Amino acid sequence: MLGKKIKNGNIEDTLNRFLKDDQHLVLGFEKGENGVSLRAFKNYLDHYSLLNPIFSTNGALHLRRLFSKGTKIILMLRPCEIRAYIELIKLNQIEREDIIAVSIDCFGALSSKDKTDDIPAEADQLREYFKKTDTMRWACKVCRERRGVVGDAGIRIDRDGLFWAFSYTEKGDSFLSLIEGEPEESRTEMLMSGSEKQDQFQNDMKTFSKDFAKCTMCMNCRDMCPVCYCIDCVFNGDEYLPKGDALLNKILRSGPVQLPQGKELFHFIRMYHVSQTCVGCGACEEACPQGIPLTKYFKGISERLQGMFSYMSGRSFDESIPYLTFLEDELKNAED
Amino acid sequence: MLQDKAEKNPEIIGFACSYCTFKASEMAGSLRMKYPEGVKLIQVPCSSRVDPAFVIKAIFEGADGVFVAGCHPGDCHFIKGNYFTRRKIAALKEMFDAFSMKDKLRLFWVSAAEARRFIDKVTTMYNEIKERKNVREKN
Repeated sequence: MLGKKIKNGNIEDTLNRFLKDDQHLVLGFEKGENGVSLRAFKNYLDHYSLLNPIFSTNGALHLRRLFSKGTKIILMLRPCEIRAYIELIKLNQIEREDIIAVSIDCFGALSSKDKTDDIPAEADQLREYFKKTDTMRWACKVCRERRGVVGDAGIRIDRDGLFWAFSYTEKGDSFLSLIEGEPEESRTEMLMSGSEKQDQFQNDMKTFSKDFAKCTMCMNCRDMCPVCYCIDCVFNGDEYLPKGDALLNKILRSGPVQLPQGKELFHFIRMYHVSQTCVGCGACEEACPQGIPLTKYFKGISERLQGMFSYMSGRSFDESIPYLTFLEDELKNAED
Repeated sequence: MLQDKAEKNPEIIGFACSYCTFKASEMAGSLRMKYPEGVKLIQVPCSSRVDPAFVIKAIFEGADGVFVAGCHPGDCHFIKGNYFTRRKIAALKEMFDAFSMKDKLRLFWVSAAEARRFIDKVTTMYNEIKERKNVREKN
């Protein structure tokens, strides 16, 4: 594949050249005193980090309802974040025209809840670190797409430790043109290969109830989910989770309830609603104050349901979300 | 005791498309055909109006079974509504299957003329769920 070699870290120069224009922004990672964090850069970019070894929130969350044109933005994010961004485009939540999405090979990340002091941010060191220790987040261990092959362009690392930039769309070409040097054929194999397939998710209601018994209904998982985008969420009103008078009426009408009520209902409905768009980034689990293994359920169910329609969330810009389209001749055994 | 012997009757919620299945149920009524009292029909303008959240809510709030019924594929009043239903409900079934409760949800295609088919489908579902429920209650 034709790509451009990035000579030792000159991606920072490239992005700085791009940022000279006042109307240009870069969303990427910054090395700070307290570790690596997500940052929107304007005018000038310093202490830039290509990789982020700590996962706290999904970057696509901040792009939701971005419709203005005229400000060119380059996203330098993880594959899971770019995939969530692509799903949001399909759901008409982002105007894609002036955004260039660049996915970067990801080696996995630590949970922001864990001790994160001694984690390196350089590719080879990070790889060694995860080989030695078993502290990687579960969501990253079972990740479906670690490679930077989604979005408009991708930054990939080959076996010799060289960084390559590849373009996948026209906008990706304009990103590549920012990088110095001539495009050349990459002959060495890439470091990152595809992920192995996970077993089909199977569970029963008993373990489900047990896992979710701790839930306090804070709804952080919903608020931090990049693809849970509804402004008028069904759980905001009194219909699904009655409060006050409505709750009193419900108890008088249909008997005693456990409080906070609707834990299983809430997670079940949310699981279905994000089933085709869930990218399995694990931001819900990251946000959960009770440490409920949400990724296990959400990722398992979404992979199973996406498998029905041979769909993978965020794989390409052109595939339609299965619930928004249909084939006339399919699912013959759906009827009972 | 008398109460233990008494069979428990299940409650079934049905979402019925107002152009087909609900018409079929009305026709069944005018033909004086009977279907179990435990079946409660909810009229919806089209089967694709049924957000799977409705189904999940019905089940978690105590229904023993839920069915979604609409026109045969290709016969939708709104041209393509039931194709979307088919995808959504098939996916929901797969999700229920993952939690080993697939038997609680069914999808029927019943046209306005098929009163007998409606009665058959609903009665079979009711009896199966009743049987399973009473076996479970005994254990």
